[in-house]
Amino acid sequence: MEINAGICGNFPRPPELRKALDELSSGKIDEKELNRVFKLSMRKIVELQEENGLNPVTSGLLLWHDPLRPFAESFSGVQLGGLLRFFDNNFYYRRPIITGPIKREKPITVEEVGELSQIAKTQVKAVLPGPYTFLKLSENKFYQSEDQLIDDLIEALAAEIEDLNGLADIIQVDEPSLVDPELSLEERRKGVEVVKELIGKLRVPSDRLIVATYFNLDPDSYSILLDLKTGLHLDLCSSRDKAEEALREYGFKGSILSLGIVDSRSIFPETPAEMAGKTRKILEKTSAEKVMISTSSWLDYLPFNEAVEKLRILGRTLREVASS
Amino acid sequence: MSFRLPNKLVTTIVGSYPYFPEALKAFQLRKRRVRGSEYEELVKTAIRKTVEDYLSAGVDIVSDGEQRREDMAVFFAEELKGFEISEPVRIFDNVYYRKPVIVDDIEWTHEIVVEDWRYASSISRGRPVKVTLTGPYTMYSWSFDKHYGNMRNAILDLARALAREVEALVNAGAKYVQVDEPALSTRVEKEDVKLAGEALEIMVGKLSNVKRIMHVCYGKIERLFPEVLDYPIDQLDLETKNSEYRLLKLLREYSFDKELALGVVDVHSSRIETIEEIVDGIRKGLEIIPPDRLYVKPDCGLKRLKRETALAKLRNMVKAAEKAREELA
Ligand SMILES: [Zn+2]
Repeated sequence: MEINAGICGNFPRPPELRKALDELSSGKIDEKELNRVFKLSMRKIVELQEENGLNPVTSGLLLWHDPLRPFAESFSGVQLGGLLRFFDNNFYYRRPIITGPIKREKPITVEEVGELSQIAKTQVKAVLPGPYTFLKLSENKFYQSEDQLIDDLIEALAAEIEDLNGLADIIQVDEPSLVDPELSLEERRKGVEVVKELIGKLRVPSDRLIVATYFNLDPDSYSILLDLKTGLHLDLCSSRDKAEEALREYGFKGSILSLGIVDSRSIFPETPAEMAGKTRKILEKTSAEKVMISTSSWLDYLPFNEAVEKLRILGRTLREVASS
Repeated sequence: MSFRLPNKLVTTIVGSYPYFPEALKAFQLRKRRVRGSEYEELVKTAIRKTVEDYLSAGVDIVSDGEQRREDMAVFFAEELKGFEISEPVRIFDNVYYRKPVIVDDIEWTHEIVVEDWRYASSISRGRPVKVTLTGPYTMYSWSFDKHYGNMRNAILDLARALAREVEALVNAGAKYVQVDEPALSTRVEKEDVKLAGEALEIMVGKLSNVKRIMHVCYGKIERLFPEVLDYPIDQLDLETKNSEYRLLKLLREYSFDKELALGVVDVHSSRIETIEEIVDGIRKGLEIIPPDRLYVKPDCGLKRLKRETALAKLRNMVKAAEKAREELA
């Protein structure tokens, strides 16, 4: 078994990038200057991950205004709606409003991942929203048939993944809706079918593909997730007892398992020893080829300085687990 | 100076009012940790203008408009012992806010909003001034916890600390104490609902001759039932206009017998509701709650509206309550 550590998704914007974005919107700087600050920030975030021994690294998704935004902005047939709460977080996303046939007109994150793979000394992970979560967080004002909407969404996302395939070592499709306790089990099951349909269209091998779920994990959701027969990212912090119960009951057999053990929504002190203990306990019940020690979800819910601390914990936990 | 509350359909507000320019200036001073007489004067002026607006609209039970509080959680965190304020955390797009961080045992060390209540009362021409406090459950939910690592212990300590503020307010003469718990309408589990109730018991459970109110809004308020029926409160203050009065059905099912403060104007919309539309909402409330237990007020705090809009909404609300009273007579 190969063990690594890496963050689940994004990293908070460093102060200088926040400032540059504000200055861009007030007309103080131009796109070119923003791009310069952005590139430096991305480099900084990549270095921070590498310094802590993380592998793979992500770009930090530093310009994404929310987990759907680059796609909602770029797909034709989709417009931006009002702000809505992102699951149970005090974080808000703009709801995509579907007003025409969904089509990917051009690559969306490919340039950013290409850049990442050039600057990273380690493996790189690309992250993008999955079709079911995109569907659930959108408002459909166009399609008569939801199946048609799903087909178009899958096609658009599959095209992006196809382009990322040669650039990223790991491709992660984010699907928090698959474990959303607000959805019925029937809906979650349908979600798994949708994601399976997407996976069926991809040429990414299963040891390089992760479906990421977060903000919840319970035995019922988990048992249907296993149906995906692909790599999984699991949030082991948001519903702790239930998550452990799920793993105890169903174990894990598959190629790649990303364990969201470091809490990305809390800053209560975590020690590497305690994190390593938890990891070991879970590893007893799983047989994955690759295991990743990870944050429970994106790091958007933390201030920059606390997110840096999470990188340290991840790195030290990895060393602790590896040394035993 | 003599003022008498109507014996039915009393009009009130939830708490906050659009910030006057003086309040915004005061926030700037506060950020620079300047809290001298200039700061106090600015806050007082903002409170006075708020109360004047309430009086001109004819609202029966008024407030200080929360003109001193830029953020309902951060404000109390800054005043209680045991908190720090975090580096910026994103809330959406490139917009960030600072979140309270619990770093030590939470304790009450000094009066927080008593002076604002006292001042508002001194200029309200006899109208009662309701005081609003951010509740322990919401304070905890909207903070980072670096110290307790245990939600229950932290919330109960918060409740004990806020109970001291309640005590000071009641000693000063406050008769309407409202605990705001907007976080209770998000994804709460049953144990959270019970815990919030325990916290309320600590804060206001033993009070007599004081109207104890809890405000909740937006989201899954259904989940508070039936436990909320046993909360130690006299009045439940709800957002109902925005959710098209769907909660009234629930209150009927549970034979709700506390007072109800009914939200009849939408604070998320700048459209001014017509008097007839508001009367219609009041009639819906009257189907479930008798008029002496039914209070009329906006859904939530008014601070996000333009002042002119807020005032126009309140004027129509007061006229609608008068009309509804005439209908009942
Ligand atoms: Zn409210």
